[in-house]
Amino acid sequence: MEMLDAVQGARKTKARGWRRLTRAERREARWGYAFIGLWIVGFLTFYFLPMAASLVFSFFDFELTRPDEATFIGLDNWRKLLFEDPRVWQALRVTFTFALISLPIGMISALFLAVLLNSEHLIGKSLFRTLFYAPTMVPIIAGVLIWSGVLNPTTGWINQIIEAVTGLDAAGPNGIRWLNDPRIIYLSYVMIGFWAIGNAILYNLASLQGVPSELYEAAKIDGASWLRRLWSITLPMISPIIFYNLILSIFGLMQYFEVPYVLNTGTGEPDGTTYFYIVHFYRQTFQNLDMGYGSAIAWLLYIIAITITATLFATANRWVYYAGGNR
Amino acid sequence: MAVRKPATPQPPAPPRGPESYGSAERQAAAYRGLIVKILFTSFVLVILLLYIMPLGYSFITSFKSKSQVSDVNAPVLPSARVTFDWEGESYEVYEVPIEGETRELALTVRRRDHAFFVDPQNPGAGEIRWEGRWRSLDPVYELAFQWGNYPTAFEFIDFLQLLRNTLFYAIVTTFAATSSAAIVAYGFARFRFPLKGLLFMVLISTIILPSQATLVPQYAVFFQFGWVGTWLPLIIPTFFSNAYNVFLLRQYFLTIPTELEEAARIDGAGPIRTFVQIILPQAVPALIAVSLFHFFFAWNDFFGPLIYLAGNDNLQPLSVGLFRFNGLYATEPQLIQAASVMTMIIPLLIFFFAQRFFMQGVVVTGVDK
Amino acid sequence: MRRFAILLLALAFAGAAAAQTQIRWYVGLGAGSDVGVIPVQEEFVANFNASQDDIELILEIVDNDQAYDVLATQIAAGNPPDIVGPVGIRGRNAFPGIFADLTPYIEATDYDLSDFDPALVDVYNVEGEGQIGIPFAVFPSYITYNKTLFDEAGLPYPPHAYGEPYTTWEGETVDWDLAAMRDVGMLLTVDANGFDAAMPEFDNNNVVQWGFGEQWTDLRGRLAKFGAGTFVDENGDAIIPAHWAQGVQWLHDAMWVDGWIPNAPYSGSDFLAAGDLLASGNVGMVHTHLWYQGCCMAGFEDEWDLAAMPTGLTGVPVAKLHGDTFGITSASPNKEAAFEVLVAMFEPENMVTLSEIYGGMPARESLAGSYIASFGENNFPDRDVDWSVVTASLGYADSPSHEGPLPAFRDAEQLYIAFDQRLNNEADLDVGSELALLQAELQLLFDSVR
Repeated sequence: MEMLDAVQGARKTKARGWRRLTRAERREARWGYAFIGLWIVGFLTFYFLPMAASLVFSFFDFELTRPDEATFIGLDNWRKLLFEDPRVWQALRVTFTFALISLPIGMISALFLAVLLNSEHLIGKSLFRTLFYAPTMVPIIAGVLIWSGVLNPTTGWINQIIEAVTGLDAAGPNGIRWLNDPRIIYLSYVMIGFWAIGNAILYNLASLQGVPSELYEAAKIDGASWLRRLWSITLPMISPIIFYNLILSIFGLMQYFEVPYVLNTGTGEPDGTTYFYIVHFYRQTFQNLDMGYGSAIAWLLYIIAITITATLFATANRWVYYAGGNR
Repeated sequence: MAVRKPATPQPPAPPRGPESYGSAERQAAAYRGLIVKILFTSFVLVILLLYIMPLGYSFITSFKSKSQVSDVNAPVLPSARVTFDWEGESYEVYEVPIEGETRELALTVRRRDHAFFVDPQNPGAGEIRWEGRWRSLDPVYELAFQWGNYPTAFEFIDFLQLLRNTLFYAIVTTFAATSSAAIVAYGFARFRFPLKGLLFMVLISTIILPSQATLVPQYAVFFQFGWVGTWLPLIIPTFFSNAYNVFLLRQYFLTIPTELEEAARIDGAGPIRTFVQIILPQAVPALIAVSLFHFFFAWNDFFGPLIYLAGNDNLQPLSVGLFRFNGLYATEPQLIQAASVMTMIIPLLIFFFAQRFFMQGVVVTGVDK
Repeated sequence: MRRFAILLLALAFAGAAAAQTQIRWYVGLGAGSDVGVIPVQEEFVANFNASQDDIELILEIVDNDQAYDVLATQIAAGNPPDIVGPVGIRGRNAFPGIFADLTPYIEATDYDLSDFDPALVDVYNVEGEGQIGIPFAVFPSYITYNKTLFDEAGLPYPPHAYGEPYTTWEGETVDWDLAAMRDVGMLLTVDANGFDAAMPEFDNNNVVQWGFGEQWTDLRGRLAKFGAGTFVDENGDAIIPAHWAQGVQWLHDAMWVDGWIPNAPYSGSDFLAAGDLLASGNVGMVHTHLWYQGCCMAGFEDEWDLAAMPTGLTGVPVAKLHGDTFGITSASPNKEAAFEVLVAMFEPENMVTLSEIYGGMPARESLAGSYIASFGENNFPDRDVDWSVVTASLGYADSPSHEGPLPAFRDAEQLYIAFDQRLNNEADLDVGSELALLQAELQLLFDSVR
């Protein structure tokens, strides 16, 4: 009983230093550390050293293929990064522009599809879900070939379908140039991005199924409409997963690399619209072989992302509802 | 929201309407329900078809031959030109408008402004000269699925060995990742301890730093351990959980109401028993989701195995092995697609059947939808 | 006595185990990762290991797309391979400084270099790094033309010998230069209705067959046929050679005005086999290297033959050259043993076997004569191909090489690759101003790394 009270009391207060905890709280804390200890060991062994090393590299002039000749240069890389390299800011701008477009579309469509696939009106749910998830399982090499094949202006299926359905002269060298027209390149990337929302649909589905049906029944009795049920019951109950998707989507978009690198060969064409931040990092590190400068680039991204994440976590309490109480 | 009692399923409140009417009206209502279902399903079907259209391209290409892929006039479905064998050579058949009618003739000699044909039905008549540009003629096709692409792709890259490696990697890491993530997530979700917020941010931060930035030092670390060239760098770290799974499960655990745990605590259960007997059963949908997610990620994981297994052909998984089709010069798009389809079959089947557990998990937790 | 025997035995085992040096041979920067090639390399490795006890040769093959990154990671993390190859000039320039100077090992073993063309050996002597390789295989380039398409058009074949004139279909004798090639190319270019590019009804949006194409090369490779050159001068400043500027305009007109060279929407499409122009059977003349015959023409059904390169804008024909070698990494701890492996590779017999699978000519002058005839015999026994074009093209190699060094090599490459993409994708490109822009960007880049 004493422990229960202590635990419930602790729920309402912030964590305090070790000395100020009661015996019961200390016991709880020890159990907490025990459970996460597994991660701490793994982190220290496999992640801490490489992460710290990459930060250290940013203070060195480290040519990738001559690791023995790395020399300490202090903040030179950072100065270059922040003040002397216009491509850094161009890349950040490109990345954030695309994120602003892609993020809401991705999250809304994942939620929309999850609700559809969870609906009682759908016949053959299992098959539909499997097929919607299928694109996530395509191996990378095939995926690349598929998209460059489908988006090709002359023989690609998309242009041919458009031409067949609407009669526009969409196919051929004067047709719609999905990957080379700066006006629609982001649309093409968003299309390709739709293929990656399979996981988000999956999480949303799992979360939707965890919503107790008594809530829906009670709401139906009270005469709530479908939309009202969605807004007042579904969304709050699955908000933790929405939060998860949001955070992960932001990280994914900040690290967006494979698609522009493979489909637009990492040059940034057309007109610099595909020069994403990690493309810049890759070129500096693995093509220019300047590991020191590349590490600085990566760590700037890290700092920006941590800031965004911390802000999101801090404001999460306003809109994320945890039925078990956020501890 | 008031505290809800745990799950004794309550009978649904009596629905208004149809039940109080006669059987004819009930039938009509059922009929309406079916119409709604069909319309709804069709709507979703259209969306689905648009969504997986590129996969259709992949599937169809896998049945074409390499020359069909580059055939200008080829129809969408895998087809081959109809040919006619005459005097030891094969000639393609075209639809030729000649002498007022359209006949199917085999093209023997091509020139810019005229051509020679042979009539497959009447080869003894010799070659017929036709004035005109042969390119404006329509070739004759017949459906021809290159079923042979699949066995060819299968042998080309020793599919069975790659499959074995991939299964091994995916199964082991899925088990390791899910169980370790559940343990760690429980710690973050249900316990208070100093520095918890900071530690959680550190956890999240491991996925913010792009993996290419830590690639070189991480490789160096594993090289010092002597693990380069083996599966160890890819498998061992998963036993210590990764941020994605921990984050997800932590979110999910936080949605589980605490009444059952509190009741268990009153009964004297320790944290471990609470974890195993109360939390885990309630979290089954999320655990299934995490397992599936990790399984499919491992199935197609590419860069890690590439770096650490470079040069060890017999240890590589499918994702790396498929690149053997991508030789510097010789690309076989139809074989790549065939191999890719074969690679996807197992995960698709697993996904299809694992959905039952989603539903089962729902029943176990006592909520239904 | 027994103890002594056991000790001796133990020492013997330890000695044997310790004496075996492991040499890792990294393949993938150039040729060597193709499926057909792997077994031959493995056989070489097996034979080598069986022939002696001191060295254990281990083969490590990585697909070309990832080979650069994986190699960079291995070197940076302290796990460098010992031998890297076959690697071409471009591969070497992408990793400046990773190869060791072979001069001490050549002198120590008194290795005989007389069988190699001194000019070619000099190509591998890099200022500041030393003799980083010995030429292994060379890949001359020339035109491979599709006889079936020429026959269909009723055109005479292009000349095989350098300096030989060309007889047009109208009976005129002209020099085989770019203008002549253009005339032939226009007649070979046909749209879906059968009109060729010289006719007014020709529809550039519906082309199904082209006159000429470049196979798998970059901008400098395409411009080499106008005359040798590069983007940097002796002072380290960015330049666009005059004949290259003209060449860019020529290419632009060919792709977008006349339409006899495929532009990007066409060359990425299925019916040009996504870039494999010759194999698609839809291009009349293709500029190819010997490795293309080696790798990819085995299943080609149309009739084909080889022709000389046309005279470029500098008054001479230029047939760009690829050259491969094997290098020893400067970070390798076993350079002496690695050199022994190299010596074995350069043995005439092994050189011939390996050159053949890589699709090149062995660089030993004593082998050159007989090699190309047997290459033809082994790979294309049923075809009657004029292999003398290959040997003749060796004499027209481009110098400076189209793969030659540039300051900030990869970044500079990216700049002109981006330009090339615009050239191939935009119909109304203002060539003059875009070239000026490219030069300015290159200058900025070169200045930043001075």
